[in-house]
Amino acid sequence: MSHVAPTPSRRAFLGGLAGVALAAGLSGCATGRGAQEVSFHQSKPEAIPYFGGLVQDFNQQASGVRAVHDTSSGLSAGFARGNPPDLGCLNYNYEIVRFQEQGAFSDLADLAGEARIAPSIQDLIDQYPTYPGRTSVIPYSMMAAAVLYNEEIFAEHDLQVPTTYSEFLEVCGALEEAGVTPVYSTYADPWTVAQGLVDYSVGGRLDVAEFFEQLRAQGPDAGPEAPVSFSRTLREPLEKMLEIAAFSQAGAASRGYGDGNVAFARGEAAMYLQGPWALGEIATINPDAQIGIFPLPMTEDPEDLKVRVNLDLALWVPEASNAQEPARELLRYLITPEIADAYNQDNLAFGVREDAPAVQDARLQDLQGFVDRAAFYQGVSQAIPRTIPFENYAQGIVTGQSLEATLRTLDEDWARLARRSETEA
Amino acid sequence: MTTATTSPRTADAPTGVSPRSRPAPRRRPRADRVYLWFLLPTLVLFTLSITMPAVMGIFYSFTDSVGFGEFNFVGLNNYLVMFSDPAILSSYGFTIGVALCTVILVNVVALTLAIGLTSKIRAKTALRTIFVMPMVVSGIIIAFVFQFIFANTVPAAAQALQLGVLEESILADPDLAWISIVLVTAWQAVPQAMLIYIAGLMTVPRDVYEASAIDGASAWKQLRSITLPLISGFVLINVIIGFKDFLGTYEIIVGLTDGGPGTSTRSVAMTIFSGFDNGDYAYQMANSTIFFLITLTIALIQLRLTRGNARI
Repeated sequence: MSHVAPTPSRRAFLGGLAGVALAAGLSGCATGRGAQEVSFHQSKPEAIPYFGGLVQDFNQQASGVRAVHDTSSGLSAGFARGNPPDLGCLNYNYEIVRFQEQGAFSDLADLAGEARIAPSIQDLIDQYPTYPGRTSVIPYSMMAAAVLYNEEIFAEHDLQVPTTYSEFLEVCGALEEAGVTPVYSTYADPWTVAQGLVDYSVGGRLDVAEFFEQLRAQGPDAGPEAPVSFSRTLREPLEKMLEIAAFSQAGAASRGYGDGNVAFARGEAAMYLQGPWALGEIATINPDAQIGIFPLPMTEDPEDLKVRVNLDLALWVPEASNAQEPARELLRYLITPEIADAYNQDNLAFGVREDAPAVQDARLQDLQGFVDRAAFYQGVSQAIPRTIPFENYAQGIVTGQSLEATLRTLDEDWARLARRSETEA
Repeated sequence: MTTATTSPRTADAPTGVSPRSRPAPRRRPRADRVYLWFLLPTLVLFTLSITMPAVMGIFYSFTDSVGFGEFNFVGLNNYLVMFSDPAILSSYGFTIGVALCTVILVNVVALTLAIGLTSKIRAKTALRTIFVMPMVVSGIIIAFVFQFIFANTVPAAAQALQLGVLEESILADPDLAWISIVLVTAWQAVPQAMLIYIAGLMTVPRDVYEASAIDGASAWKQLRSITLPLISGFVLINVIIGFKDFLGTYEIIVGLTDGGPGTSTRSVAMTIFSGFDNGDYAYQMANSTIFFLITLTIALIQLRLTRGNARI
C-alpha cells in the first residue's frame, strides 16, 4: 500500500517501543550462539504473510543466519536508540528519505549492481535528497496508480476512455446527464485527496521532479513571491483539479477510503481516483466488478499521459546494524529474480529490474506501456517533507478553502523549513 | 501533579497518628523508612520514564537533532522560529479554545447529573453505572464510533427531518468540526467529573438543606446559596484537572477528524507527535517544552488554589 497513516496511534507507537526493547533483548541473547540473527523489518500489512513465508524459506536454506520477521517496531525509536532493524523493506517515502539524507544507511553499491535496477526507476530514488557517494537504498517493488473506472458503466453509456482533458470533462458531463455519479471521492481521509486528485492532476500537467529540483535550488529564498513556487506552478493544475472534484458524489467530505472502496465496488460511481492497493478490497466486496485503469489526462495532447508511481518497497541496511553481512545475505536472497518477480506478480506491483517481466494482472496491463517507456512521475504529495501537513492542505482545498491562500501557506511553510535547515546546517 | 498534591498527605497521616498512640521517640524515623521503601519503586520508575526523557527532550530542543545521529547546538533558534510559525500558533489557539469549551460543558453536565443522581430517585445505582460507562471505553474506539455517527447517522437523520443545517456532516465543515471534538471529549470526560461531584455533594450535611427548607428557600436558591458554595473546592478541582487533561487531547481528534478538514482541528499534541516521525524532532521538542511550561503553570495554580481550600 502506498499510503502511510499520517500519525501512528499512540498505542502503535508504544507497541513499537516495546517491540524494539524486546528485539534488543533478543539480539543480545543471540550473540554467541551458532546462527547469527538478522532482524528484518517489513510492515506493509498486505505483504506480511507473503514475506513471512519468504523468511521461513530463507531460514531453511541459509546456514549460520537466522532472519526474524519484525512487522511492528517503530522505526524512529529504533534509530533513536541506535538499534534499528538490520534489513528494512519499506515504502520509499520521506520517512525513509530523512534517514537516507543523514547517512544512516550503509553503502549497497556492490549489491545494486547485482540488482540491475532499471535506470528510469533508479531515477525515482535520486529525485529525493540522497547521501552523496552512496547507494543507500535498493528499489524492490513499484506500484503504478491511475484512475480506476467501472468498465460496465462506461460500456453501458457508450463511453470511451478519455485521453485529453476536454474528453475527460465530456465523459464526466455525459455520466452526470445520465444520472451516474462520475467520480467517487473520499475527502474524509486526507491522504486519498493528496495521492489521488492532487497527485494525478499535478503529475499529469507538469514535470514534478523538475519542479522540486528548481524549488530546492532556491533554498531559503523560496516563498510565494519566488520565481518558482507552489503558488505560481501548482495553481493552474489545481484549478483544473477542482473542476474534476466538482463531479464527485454529494457528501464526499464525510466519506473515507473504506466507504469509497465499497461504493465503487458496488458500481455507485463510474470512476475512482485510487491506486491498485484498493483493487483487492474492491474484488472482495464485488468479485464480478469489471475494473479498468487509465491515466488522468490533464492536457490536450494524448502524448502527455503519465501514470503516478511510487516505490512501494525498497531495501536498506542501516549503518548502525551489528549484522550487516547477514543482512546483505538476506537482501541478496530477496533480490533473486525468481523471488522478486513472484512477489511483484502476487502483489499487483511492477518489477524494478531492467529485465523484469510484464505485469500479468489483466487490470494492470493497460499501464505496462507507460511503465516501459517511463511515462511516470512520483506524486507531488510524496515530495514534500511530512512536517508540512500537505495532505491536510489538499483536503482543505477540495472542501472549500481558498486555493490561493492554501498555496501561499504551503510556500511559506516550505520557505520556513528551508530557512530552518539553513541556520542548522 | 495531582499525585504530588495528595501523596504527601496520605503519607503524613499515619505518621501523624503514631506518635500520639506510641510516644516513644525512636519509633518515628523507623516507620518513616518503611514508607520510603513504598515510595522507591514509583520514584525510580517516574525518574526513568518521565523525568529523564523530559530533561533529555528539553536538552534536544536547543539542537538541530532529527531524533538520531549527530546534531549541533542551535541555541534558541527553534524557539524563535516556533513563535512565528502560524501552524504552531493556530494549534495553540485551537487547543486552548477547545479545552475551555469542553471544561465548561463537562462541568455543567457533570454537576447536573451528579445532583440528579444524589437526589431521591429510583434505580440510582443502575443509572450511575450507566453514566460511568464511557469512562471504561478507550478514547480511540469512542472516537471511531462517533466518527461514524457524525458522518452517517446525524446527516441521515437530518435529511429525514429536513433539518437543512445538519444534512452535511459537521466533521466536514472547517468551522464546525471543533464542536464534534468538544462533544465527544466531553462525553468521555463527564463520568469522572460526575463522580467527583457526587463525592462532593455527599459532604454537604443534610441538616443545612432542612434548615433552609424551613426558612422557605426554593430548590434553585438552595443550589445557588448552599450547594455551590459548599462544593466550590470540587468545582475548582474539576475545572483545573479537566482543563489540563483537555489540553492534551489527541486520540479523539485523530479518530474524528485527523486534524481536518484542512488543518482546522490540529491540536498541539498532534503537532508535537508528528514531529517525532517526520524528522522535526528538535523543533517539536521546543514546542513540547513550551507546552510543558503551560501545563506546569496550570498545575502550580491548581496546587496553590487547592491548598488554600481546607475542605478538600
